[in-house]
Amino acid sequence: MKQLTEITTPFSEVAKSVSLPGAGLDWLDTLRQQAQGLFERQGLPAKKVEDWKYTSLWQLSREGFTHDAKATTLQASEVADVAVLEDAYRIVIVDGGFNAELSNVEGLESGLTIKPMSAAWEQAEKLLGQQIDLDKPGLNALNTMLMQDGAYIHVSADSSIAKTIELLVISTADNDRLASHLRHLVHLEAGAKATLVENYVSVGETQGFTNVVTEVNLADNASLNHFKLQHESLGHYHIATLASRQAEGSQWHTNNISLGSKLARNDIHSQLLGEQSHVTLDGLYLVTGDQHVDNHTRIDHAVPNTTSDEVYKGVLDGKSHAVFNGKVFVHQDAQKTDSSQSNKNLLLSRSSEIDTKPELEIYADDVKCAHGSTVGQIDQQQLFFLRARGLDETAARSLLTYAFAVDVLQRIKSEPIRQGLSNVIEKRLPKGA
Amino acid sequence: MLEIKNLHASVEGKEILRGINLTVNPGEVHAIMGPNGAGKSTLSNVLAGRDGYEVTQGEIIYKGENLMELEPEERAQRGVFLAFQYPVEIPGVSNIYLLKAALNAVRKHQGLDEVDAIDFLNLVREKMQLVKMDEQFLHRNVNEGFSGGEKKRNEILQMAVLEPALAILDETDSGLDIDALRTVAEGVNALRAEDRSIVMITHYQRLLDHIVPDFVHVLSEGKIVKSGDKELAKELEKSGYSWVHDAPEGQTA
Repeated sequence: MKQLTEITTPFSEVAKSVSLPGAGLDWLDTLRQQAQGLFERQGLPAKKVEDWKYTSLWQLSREGFTHDAKATTLQASEVADVAVLEDAYRIVIVDGGFNAELSNVEGLESGLTIKPMSAAWEQAEKLLGQQIDLDKPGLNALNTMLMQDGAYIHVSADSSIAKTIELLVISTADNDRLASHLRHLVHLEAGAKATLVENYVSVGETQGFTNVVTEVNLADNASLNHFKLQHESLGHYHIATLASRQAEGSQWHTNNISLGSKLARNDIHSQLLGEQSHVTLDGLYLVTGDQHVDNHTRIDHAVPNTTSDEVYKGVLDGKSHAVFNGKVFVHQDAQKTDSSQSNKNLLLSRSSEIDTKPELEIYADDVKCAHGSTVGQIDQQQLFFLRARGLDETAARSLLTYAFAVDVLQRIKSEPIRQGLSNVIEKRLPKGA
Repeated sequence: MLEIKNLHASVEGKEILRGINLTVNPGEVHAIMGPNGAGKSTLSNVLAGRDGYEVTQGEIIYKGENLMELEPEERAQRGVFLAFQYPVEIPGVSNIYLLKAALNAVRKHQGLDEVDAIDFLNLVREKMQLVKMDEQFLHRNVNEGFSGGEKKRNEILQMAVLEPALAILDETDSGLDIDALRTVAEGVNALRAEDRSIVMITHYQRLLDHIVPDFVHVLSEGKIVKSGDKELAKELEKSGYSWVHDAPEGQTA
């Protein structure tokens, strides 16, 4: 266990040395201490842990990140440049802390509350930590021990929020080796509806570490369209948990687009706890160079009559490595579960590598579950056809790559979001169109 | 327009074309007929530049340039068009996107600006009428879920939009019922022009009832064993391909 001890040290010392927002609140101190105890026992997950078999955090553990952020020089125009949406409520976190000047959370529609987590501990108390499993090998304990800020978003019962909420998490070159530990909580009361875009981006080159947990709680018949775009610098580390608890009739539509970072890991967990609840987990990863992206998803069908639909697509170039692990767990009582999952990958280079693993665990007997995964290359017939129509090879490859990925985008119903995400994705297409 | 001299070509080391000579002048329509395995598809693939076809001898001169030195896209940009025997489906790419990208590739080579969106739509609508295609096909993915006839009409639509100098139609009649064949043929006939040459490759004579060629060539075992006018096709229809094997140049297997 020597390796694990070495890995834990720097972060544990941080916990003792820094003063975190909310310190002094009994319940929060207790929660952080509990997390610290766990983290000191577990450390960062090593590769012998099954869920971390393909993703090594060894390099991350040697980076020596700082936890002291200098004041930012970020301008409003730079925020506008990296935002997905022009017209949205914006909550902006810069280098680990809420930035009021760059945010636009005034004049919200009735029923909507958006606050920085550092000013919303009291509202968050009841639900904070309820959506995640603190014990699970991963970074949930580390995140809980050091969580400093984030977004608290609440929608009251039956409120339908028309305008999209964009949660911008910006890492800047002013603090290029910063570790930030963020916690967001999104709580929709019964019948509430909202759309959220989480946008993780670097301004300038950063080699920092974003460690984020987003908790989603959907009450009866609540509906959340939830997008996550991650396009941080290629020297950055990004480790995230996205977890929901869903009550009866609720709908969670997620779309997880991973383009950036040297190492990106997403653990996405949907818990369907009420009948007629539904989750969509869509994702797209586009990696090149020596990027590593790992998406672990898990859906728990805990009660009868729930549905899930999952489409993950990946495009790999250079020496990149991607991991997809999609677990669907159908509990004993969860009769009439209807679940479909697919993971498709396009390899553009010989030295890229994908490890894909659908995992079904079914303990009910009257269910419909479909899953499949594919790994392929650019179709030579299609490539020749396009070239025979005058497109040069680079443009043809780029078009076919886009065509492979586009159905994940076509599943997005909101035109401005689809457009905003397409613009970012097109820039990242290998060998540009 | 096109001059093929003593063309020999191999696929996976096996010689398929064994000395083809063919001259196509502007405005002419040539039909190349022959039994299965004669080398018809190899010839069209060599002309379009598909990988895996090795020219071992001879040359192909197109508008004074050595065609074999050009990439497939360079050939297309210079006005060579292949209507595919089996048009490929491309999920995720709409027909209109393909047409526009292809047209702009040709225009770029000609030193022209990208086509204006409204002009383009008007052009495409006009050309769609030639092949009796409904506008909804523009927004569908290229050939995805199209019937055999729709795929072939889509090929002719692309030809109509790109207005090539040399069109090679590879088995454009295969898999078509008589109505679809008539529509496709009308489309092609409307595109006949003084400055445009067409090479039709076909197994059956029936296409030639609808698109009447100026010249007919019989391809057998990798060589043109007989050339003539449209009457030659009728002769073939009556007697089958076996009699050409008895012709002086033929080598009966």
